[in-house]
Amino acid sequence: MLDYTFQWRVVWKHWPELFQAGLLTLQLTLLSIIIGLVIAALLAVFKDSDNPILKSASIAWIALARNTPALLQIYMAYFGLGAFGIHLTPYTAVLSAVAFNNAGYLAEIIRGGFSSVPASQKLAARGLGLTPAQSYLYVTLPQVLRAVFLPIVNQVIWAMLATSLGMIIGLQELTGMTTFLQSQTFRPFEFYFVAACMYLVIAKIATVLAQLVAAYLSRGGAVK
Amino acid sequence: MIEIDNVHKSFGALEVLKGIDLVVDKGEVVCLIGASGSGKSTLLLCINALEPIARGRIVVDGIDVHSKQTNQDKLRRKLGIVFQQFNAFPHLTARQNVALAPRKVLKMPPKEAGLLAEQHLEKVGLGDKIECYPAQLSGGQQQRLAIARALAMSPDYLLLDEVTSALDPELVGEVLDTLRMLAKDGMTMIAVTHEMPFAREVADRVAFFHQGVIHEVGAAGALIDHPKEARTREFLGKIL
Amino acid sequence: MIYTFTANDLWFMARGAGITFVLTLVAGALGSVMGFLIGWARTSRNPLLRGLLGAYVDIIRSIPLIIQFVLFNSFMAIAGNPLDPFTSGIITLSVYISGYVSEVVKAGIESVPAVMSKAARGLGMTYAQDFSNVVVPIGMRTVFPAWVGLMLGLMKDTSLIAVLGATPPELLRASQIIINRIQEPLLILLGAGAFYFVMCYVITLFAGRYEKSWRQKHEVAR
Repeated sequence: MLDYTFQWRVVWKHWPELFQAGLLTLQLTLLSIIIGLVIAALLAVFKDSDNPILKSASIAWIALARNTPALLQIYMAYFGLGAFGIHLTPYTAVLSAVAFNNAGYLAEIIRGGFSSVPASQKLAARGLGLTPAQSYLYVTLPQVLRAVFLPIVNQVIWAMLATSLGMIIGLQELTGMTTFLQSQTFRPFEFYFVAACMYLVIAKIATVLAQLVAAYLSRGGAVK
Repeated sequence: MIEIDNVHKSFGALEVLKGIDLVVDKGEVVCLIGASGSGKSTLLLCINALEPIARGRIVVDGIDVHSKQTNQDKLRRKLGIVFQQFNAFPHLTARQNVALAPRKVLKMPPKEAGLLAEQHLEKVGLGDKIECYPAQLSGGQQQRLAIARALAMSPDYLLLDEVTSALDPELVGEVLDTLRMLAKDGMTMIAVTHEMPFAREVADRVAFFHQGVIHEVGAAGALIDHPKEARTREFLGKIL
Repeated sequence: MIYTFTANDLWFMARGAGITFVLTLVAGALGSVMGFLIGWARTSRNPLLRGLLGAYVDIIRSIPLIIQFVLFNSFMAIAGNPLDPFTSGIITLSVYISGYVSEVVKAGIESVPAVMSKAARGLGMTYAQDFSNVVVPIGMRTVFPAWVGLMLGLMKDTSLIAVLGATPPELLRASQIIINRIQEPLLILLGAGAFYFVMCYVITLFAGRYEKSWRQKHEVAR
């Protein structure tokens, strides 16, 4: 059926470029998650705050991030902001758009984590004479961490997948570099196949690491 | 008649049934008592083939339950079972809960199955809850619903696995009343229970389980009031 | 010569939104059926089947959709069966979402307490009768919100089909075409965003209402 000779040597020749691009993907993913987490923590606090401006800004951010395609968010950062005289490089555009997206999802994960800790836990801690800060630090927070850890890992994987959209605005992260290289060599299947394997390996390493941490966090019972 | 002959059963390395012999006649009520983990509930699951056995034989009305030739789905129609955990189907009303098996298993027309369901719900005192979902029923009502559901298949035997153990104390009475009524109607029942007064009143015989064997079996009143074996005395002393 | 946004452009975008909707519907339906079967098979007792399907789902969920698109496309070309971008887009989207759906289906089946099945089998129901009348209705309602979330994600992911140069243009591709002509990216992107937002919002609203209506009466009281 296959009247086609696979040629892997040409991919091997370009391995240094692919590897660099893979590192760029990794870097974008981690930065977008870190920035996203910081903003998400603020959004989560603001969403339950009494200040109507902060509250509605937080609600709007979360709703927009979750209900529009990530690609549209990247277009917005890359093309749309031009109307305000802001011209981002492809790298900054992808980073800010994916971080914007992450923040919206992570904010809801964090809120869910806090609401999963029964109020009686805090009461019990205070009843033992712990100060509010102590009860927060030693009782509430560890339980929140358990609840949010796996959803956050899923978001990391998702962020990695989302950075591949950078290819569409010409960023040479893993997908963009692959697209560039295959257009030079006319070996699309081989190049994309190797790129797919690289994504798979990154995701697999991340999940295995995450499972180790989850096992530690869930000592004394399964992560609920 | 249910004939249990030298039944063995293990979960992994743990042998839970170590050679059980028991014969239950038509019309008889037999209560199985004993500490948790002594194998009583497992035996019930083996009787209607929800659990396989390792050795021995269980014969119900001449049918070898665990034989490869036996159609176990068909056999289970003879043997109604009710569990300790609430198991009313949450997505169906009381009527639909009871009518489901007659419709699907006996291929009864929906209307007929609905009427049958109403009859049985009335019998267990849920005549005013026919359109309710399980979430709207108390624990005691859910257990009576489960009993009505089993009865609607017109079983020849009823297997009851600690049906009052998950209930708040004030709800136990209504479920036991339903079982008393069934006993009076002549229903053959094998009941795992911790309710000794109930066992003494309703059961014909009581079997005491200890670590996977039947330690003592006898007439209900005699065994509960005057146990012969030291282990039985010890168990009853703790529970009464 | 200066171009402006016309009623025709708005119509073009609305049609794009319609195509987005159809793509979601078709790929969502195919992917849900596939995902249901895969998820069901993943609850089987056969460890080989479970392992294979688990790996399949792992792979689908670890590779960017764009790469899955182009990989599938170039594979079909190599195999001598080139597909038109629209068809291969629908196939890839369906396969892609089926992986996620299978996770949700598996979780739903596993969420049904074992005693429910024991009760059903104890009434003389066969495995098939128990599965279709008890396990599926209870389990699938539990995971309904998660499934709706997946379908919304799918709708947003249909925007990637544009990478294949698929015709006819769905919403984001349509917007891009207009942007190229009138050079007003902010305005058009805001408009496209509004389209997506409204579609997501309406689906979420209806799903939430449906869920609430049965949750009130069906959930087992504790």
